[in-house]
Amino acid sequence: MLELRGLTRRFENVVALDDVSFTIPDGRMVGLVGPNGAGKTTAMRIVLGVLRADAGEVRWRDREVDAETRRRFGYMPEERGLYPKMRVLDQLVYLARLHGLGREDARAQASRMVEVLGVSDRIRDKTENLSLGNQQRVQLAAALVHRPEVLVLDEPFSGLDPVGVDVLSGVLREQADAGVPVVFSSHQLDLVERLCQSVVLIDRGRVVANGRISELRAADPRRLLRVEVAGGNDGWLDALSGVRVLERLPDGAIVELEDGVREMDLLDAARAAGPVRHFSVVQPSLSEIFRRAVAR
Amino acid sequence: MWRVIARREFVERARDRGFLISTAITLLILVGIVVVSSALDRGTSFGLAIVGEGSREVAKDVTAAAAVVSIQIDVVDVEDAAAAERAVRDGAVDAALVDDERILVRADPPGQLVALIQAASIRGRSQAALLESGLSEEQIEAVLTQPPLPVEALEPVDEKRGELAAVAFVGVLALYGQLFAYGYWVAAGVVEEKSSRVVEVLLATVRPSELLRGKIFGIGLLGLAQLLLIAVIGLTASIAVGRLEFPSGALAVVGLVLFWFVLGFFFYASLFAVAGSIVTRQEDLQSTMSPLTILIVGSFFIGISATSDPSSTLATVASVLPFSAPLVMPTRVVLGEASTWEVLLSIAISVATTAALIPLATKVYSRALLQPGRVRIRQILRQRA
Repeated sequence: MLELRGLTRRFENVVALDDVSFTIPDGRMVGLVGPNGAGKTTAMRIVLGVLRADAGEVRWRDREVDAETRRRFGYMPEERGLYPKMRVLDQLVYLARLHGLGREDARAQASRMVEVLGVSDRIRDKTENLSLGNQQRVQLAAALVHRPEVLVLDEPFSGLDPVGVDVLSGVLREQADAGVPVVFSSHQLDLVERLCQSVVLIDRGRVVANGRISELRAADPRRLLRVEVAGGNDGWLDALSGVRVLERLPDGAIVELEDGVREMDLLDAARAAGPVRHFSVVQPSLSEIFRRAVAR
Repeated sequence: MWRVIARREFVERARDRGFLISTAITLLILVGIVVVSSALDRGTSFGLAIVGEGSREVAKDVTAAAAVVSIQIDVVDVEDAAAAERAVRDGAVDAALVDDERILVRADPPGQLVALIQAASIRGRSQAALLESGLSEEQIEAVLTQPPLPVEALEPVDEKRGELAAVAFVGVLALYGQLFAYGYWVAAGVVEEKSSRVVEVLLATVRPSELLRGKIFGIGLLGLAQLLLIAVIGLTASIAVGRLEFPSGALAVVGLVLFWFVLGFFFYASLFAVAGSIVTRQEDLQSTMSPLTILIVGSFFIGISATSDPSSTLATVASVLPFSAPLVMPTRVVLGEASTWEVLLSIAISVATTAALIPLATKVYSRALLQPGRVRIRQILRQRA
């Protein structure tokens, strides 16, 4: 279990992290979500020791992590970085060596990773000559090459095409299934919802929601409904009082009912507007939970 | 861990095609200079065309006299005065002696050659005149054969000194080139890691101090290896063509150059690393490097002047200052101008300054690595990690 306890960090006069605590159990994939500038990257950098915390600690297997422990962590920074002029395989072998692997082991692992990530035909090329998608795969290989005990990935999905997303999801899934705690940040909430059992929601340096997505949903007291009326004109919704539109759909919307408004009232209004194609109670999506949590 | 880093720095650069080509070119130029200069230094030689029997006798004397002062005379027998004139005009010979009566030259007479011909001719004609006056051959010989005047040198001649100064000059040149090039590589390497952002990946596994140490050792070792290669090839070529009369002196220069490269490199490399760490783009590196550039180039000029005047006040002071000592002290040592205590003082100051500099440089480097844009050193030293 990876544990962040009371992490606090200030930059000049900005509080980037304010008493942030959460845990990532072994074998669990956790999504770290929050608006830009919320403190996700700062938290990850502190876990990896790239930045120091003003207060708080990071613990792994019930011990505070030190440089030696961190070398067994895998990290993919938000700002991707590899040696542009180094050959792909050499680069991976080198990074594996830096993480403490022996020469032979490093070679074997590097060869294995390029195989897994489908870049084995480019190993003699300079990294700068690879397409951005392939460079991203090499970057992931760099995070995984030393069989990390913990995986921390900052926006690993950004810039990937759907096939790349599938490859990366598969690899992360495998890692988690093998017992590795995986935490990654993302703005693609549908993806987080699909991949992660739990999320940690950070806003302005504080944890505002934390737990299994199902629990967060259950904890959301709002009554949300999806309603669609043929004809595409949803002007009738705007005229309705006590109903707040959360998301517009092509033929309707997802709405929240305020206290005192009954589902029946909405259905009546919809039928008055035209033939009702769809009417259902919906669970709040992660996006909905997110918006509500960071609403100011 | 820094060994793994140093290994990468060494290997990645050593197998770079540009590096291999430039090393090969340097070696070719070096061998070329040695061979060409030894060919040019074979001594002076003149071509002399002669016409007539009388001239032949004179030419013999000219050749003999010239040999004494290491001048070679190539004598060409020609048909007549017209042929002699043609040879002079064409430049096939430097002068022609016609029937021991007149000397033909082009516009500008080669002074040494003309003087030699004149002396030989006068001697021959004097001999003939004396013979005619009735003196015996022995008497004439006794009169004409006079020992040359002795030459007294007022200051002792050190034949080694000229050669050592020349070798020291090459040494200063090599030191300057290596310190500058490899110092620049340290700076450029730091900027490459910052601009490619690989530095964040690295810092997640190694401490900045290890990263810096690995980089400096790796690049420094490559510089030392290249310097050694240049020295070995240069010395071998020089000895092979007989250019060096005092190989032991040259060997001392090589030893000193390697030693001072190490001292100077640690000093400059830590400063170059700082210059690299406070910028993010290669284009900005020139400006942060410029104080270092001035320091190295200035020291280089003092080093060059020291090869001709190693005991000047400037050279003496510069040979104990940490930034200029590597480029000045070797010359003063080789030319025997530095006393033991000066050398020891210079080494002590160099080592002490560098030892004080490295932690400071590491501090700036560590803190500047993750900061984008142009970073101010003073600000960095004030803030927390």
